[in-house]
Formats: sequence, C-alpha cells, structure tokens
Amino acid sequence: MHMSAGQRTLRTIAGWLVVGLFFFPIYFWTSVAFRDAKDIFSWPPKFFEFPPTVRNFEQVFGISLGFGFGNQDVVTPGGGNFYMAPRLWDSIVIASMSTVLAVVVATLAAYSLSRMDFRGRHHFVNWVLSTRMMPPVAVAVPMFFIFKQFNLLDTYTGIILVHGLMNLPLAVLLLKSFFDDIPAEIDESALLDGASRWTIFRRIVLPMAKGGIAATAVLCFIFSWTEFLFVLTLTQTSIKTVPVVSSTFVTSIGTAWGNMAALGAAAIVPAFIVIMLVQRHLVRGLTMGSLKQ
Amino acid sequence: MSVAQVKRISISDSPIPWLLPLVSLLVVFTIYPLIYNIWLSFHEFVPRKRALQFVGVDNWVQLWNDARFWSSLGVTFAYFVIALAFELALGMAIALLLDAELPGFGALRAFLSLTLVIPPAIAGMMFLLMEDPQFGALTYILNSLGLLDKSIPILATSSTALAGVLLAEIWQWTPFMVLIFLAGLRSLPTEPYEAAMIDGASSFQMFRRLTLPMMSRVIAVAVLIRGIDLFRVFDYVFVMTSGGPGTATYSLSLYAWQQTFSFIKWGYGATLSLVSLVIIMVLANIFIKVFKVRW
Repeated sequence: MHMSAGQRTLRTIAGWLVVGLFFFPIYFWTSVAFRDAKDIFSWPPKFFEFPPTVRNFEQVFGISLGFGFGNQDVVTPGGGNFYMAPRLWDSIVIASMSTVLAVVVATLAAYSLSRMDFRGRHHFVNWVLSTRMMPPVAVAVPMFFIFKQFNLLDTYTGIILVHGLMNLPLAVLLLKSFFDDIPAEIDESALLDGASRWTIFRRIVLPMAKGGIAATAVLCFIFSWTEFLFVLTLTQTSIKTVPVVSSTFVTSIGTAWGNMAALGAAAIVPAFIVIMLVQRHLVRGLTMGSLKQ
Repeated sequence: MSVAQVKRISISDSPIPWLLPLVSLLVVFTIYPLIYNIWLSFHEFVPRKRALQFVGVDNWVQLWNDARFWSSLGVTFAYFVIALAFELALGMAIALLLDAELPGFGALRAFLSLTLVIPPAIAGMMFLLMEDPQFGALTYILNSLGLLDKSIPILATSSTALAGVLLAEIWQWTPFMVLIFLAGLRSLPTEPYEAAMIDGASSFQMFRRLTLPMMSRVIAVAVLIRGIDLFRVFDYVFVMTSGGPGTATYSLSLYAWQQTFSFIKWGYGATLSLVSLVIIMVLANIFIKVFKVRW
C-alpha cells in the first residue's frame, strides 16, 4: 500500500513512540539499580537527573567495582543481607540442567511423533498439549508432598525435575514442528539402504535440526529462568532463584529497591541476549510450533 | 500444517522406546497430581492430630458456600477477560502499525520481545515500584495528567488495585500478541488486497473483510496460549498485592496456594486447585473444538 511522505514520517514517529512507551519501565528499573536510596525515594520522582552509583551491584554481588563514582562502601563478600551471587548461580544451574532434561526427552519423542505413524498419534499429541494447561498450583501441591517423602524439597534435583517437566509440552510440540520441516524422504531412502531408525536420527536428522533444537533450548531456559511458583513452593532456604529471591527484598522495614533492581537487571541481561539470538524462531516458539515465521 | 509421514517400512519400527521417557515423566507430572488432588480433596489436615483425616464431601460443600471462592473466581474471570481484550486490541493495533518497512522498524520489532524474557515476578516488582503512592513514577505521571488523585494509592484501593495489576500484565504480554500478529500479517497473500484496492475498498473494510478472516487461525492460537496463562495468574498478584486490598485481586490460583501453604488447609487447597484445573481444561478444549485449532 502506498503512503505519502507525510504519512511515512508520521507512522515512523508513532512506531518509535509506542515501542518507547513499552521500553520505559525497563529503562526506569535499570536506572533505579544505579541510584542511591535518596534518588529512589524522592517526590517528584527522578527520571534522568541523578548521580549514578554502582553500590547496589556491589552489595548484591559482593564485589568491589571501584569505578570511582558514587559513594563507595567497603563491601564484604558473603556478608550483608543482600549478597545474592549464589542465587544467580542457583538460577543458572537450574535453568541449564532442566533445559538439558527437557530437550533430550522431547527430542526423542518429537522425532517419533513426526516420523512414525501409529494409532492414536493425534490423541497423543493432544494429550501432550493438554498437559500444558495444568495450573502450576495444582501440580505444586502434590509435588510438595512427594518431594517431602523423597527428600527432594530444597534440592537442585527437585527443581530441575519440575522445571524440566514443565517445559516438556512446549519442547515436544516445538521440536515436532522442526522435524516436520525436514523432508521425510530423507529418512525413507536411508531406511531402504538398511540404516536403523537410531542411526538416521543421530546421523541425519539431529544435525539437520540443530537450529530448531537450539531455539527450543533457549525458550526452555528462559521459562525456567522466569518461573516463580514452583521455586517458591518447593524450596526453603538453601536454594532460591532470582525471581523468588527478589520478592524477599520487601521487608518490614522497607523495600531495598536499589538492590532488587540491580539483581533484576543483572538477571534480565542474559535472557535479553539469548532471546536476540533466536529471533528467527521466536514466534514459532511462543506458539509451541503452531505458527511458522 | 502437513505432518510428514513415512510409510511403515519395518515392523520393528515402534514408537514405544522413543516415547517412553516422555510418557513416564508426564505421568508423574499430570496423572499423579490429578489423582492426588482428587484424593486430597476428600481429606483435611487436622493440626491437633498432625494428620490427614477423611472428611467426605465437606471440602466441596465448603467450596460451594465460600464467598471468597466465588469472589476469587470472579476476579480471575475479570482479569482474564480484561487482559485478553486489551492485549488483543493493542496487539493488533501495534502489529498493524509496525507492519511496514520504515526506518528502524526491524529493530523495533526485535525490541518488543524484550518484555517477554523478564520474570513476571520482577515485572510485578517494577510496577509495584512505579505505582508506589509516595514516590512512584507512574503515580506521579497519572497525578500530573490529572487522571488520578494524589490521595489514592493505586494498589491499596479496592477500585483501582486490579487495574494496577493488569497494567503490569498488559505491559508485559501485549508484545507477545504483537509479535505473533506481525508474523501472521507478513504471511498474508497480497492479491486479495490488490483486488480490493481496485474495487475501491477502504482500509477499514479491507481489515474487516480480508485481514481478520485470514488471520483467524493466528488469533485463535494466540488467544488459546495466552488465555491458559491468564487463567492461572499468580506471580503478579502474589508480589504486587497478595490478593488485597480485601479480596480485590485474589485470583483462584493465589487463593488455592494460600489455603494450602499459609493456612495449612491441604484438603481445601487441593479442592480449589482442582476446580481451577477443571475450568481451564474445559474452556481450553471447547475453544480448541470450536475454533479447530490443531497442532
């Protein structure tokens, strides 16, 4: 459709404004991470004009950045209420291990769902989809009791298992759509040549689906990274991921907004980077393989 | 979408070993919790005995007579409908706006995916800070625009609290709709539009008669996926209001969680989460049937 020069300019400005509006909360949150308390608790609130400080990051990660600006405290690693480096580590371990679990199990299943014809396959796919509908609270309660029995509460194993399971429906459906893109004739001719299913899967199909598997892994990682209810319910003191620990910064004597924002900003950055790497498959991932870009 | 199929070449070509790990894990994750919740809903924890006791249908009777349950159901439905309406309308409008090759629009489209990777609990915190009555940036902006009286704390007033939570929800998930709709718009054929232009159709007519019908599958998928998550809302209300003030933002998931873990009413909590599960399953499956969504 044709647009006049005026329309083009107007539409460009409108587009930038709208996306700018969506970006504002992210900017504001990040800016809070670089503020002293007095610049956070001010009325009218400050939007741009405040002296930046890295103190919040130093307290949260127990490191001395010493860039020489802002008022610097002596930071004692491992000390202080807001020392959160181990929580970032918890998040990393849980997200990566649960991703491995989900992707390995889902790759096997998705391959057979894409390539093998068996009775009830359609119903099986629907069953997998319907498990995505389970409300987390309905799963968390029984999991709490089974975990208590098997001493899995407050352990990496427990949360990794639950996050891996939570991501299975997404991973299976998404990977199936990527396998469906690879022509089945390739498998067929290899089968005629006497290759086994396993060989075909490992030597031919897996390498061809690399990109799809990577995109699936990224999405599983992000969903584990951002998950809240399971970690809240199934951990106690020794393990906590970033989203859950952030909510504990709200204390009876006030909220440590600066520290919380610093931790939050630090946790969001890696997710930003990986999501940018899979832009090409993002919509397919968000719709569990249903829509292709 | 066509499913790739290979003729069955050898009889030993069985899907069972491929599916076994998945099935065993999904049974643990879905069938077991389902049965456990049903069993638990006929029991209740007795603190005096420190044990579960069979109570028959007491929990179900209590549920029927529990005003807080009905109110949480109402809050959940209101949240679901309002959020979905705003996310769909805004999502479509922004997608139509950004569906053009103009300076920087490629970057803008990529930029929008950023809200999706923020943990909802942290997004809730962002808006909790911005909506703070004493120093919140959003409070300030709304005050300055004359849209909100300074004496009204957004999240602590029953008439505005749900709107305050919805703001975080809509901010975070409208881009989800935008990205999906953009992908849909970009895959539409151009011929029908050219024909309509020749017939002198207005852009609104083209949107109603061409774009919407051709996008129906895309919209259905987006509604299904987002709708499921909306109905289980927990993170935002947990961090922003804990359900308050009063019961103004008490969602069904939050109510079920609190009954179980804060009030140690295991049986009643299970009953509530079972209700939430059944409603989602029924609604989602009706939706899938009616709109013929297929994977």
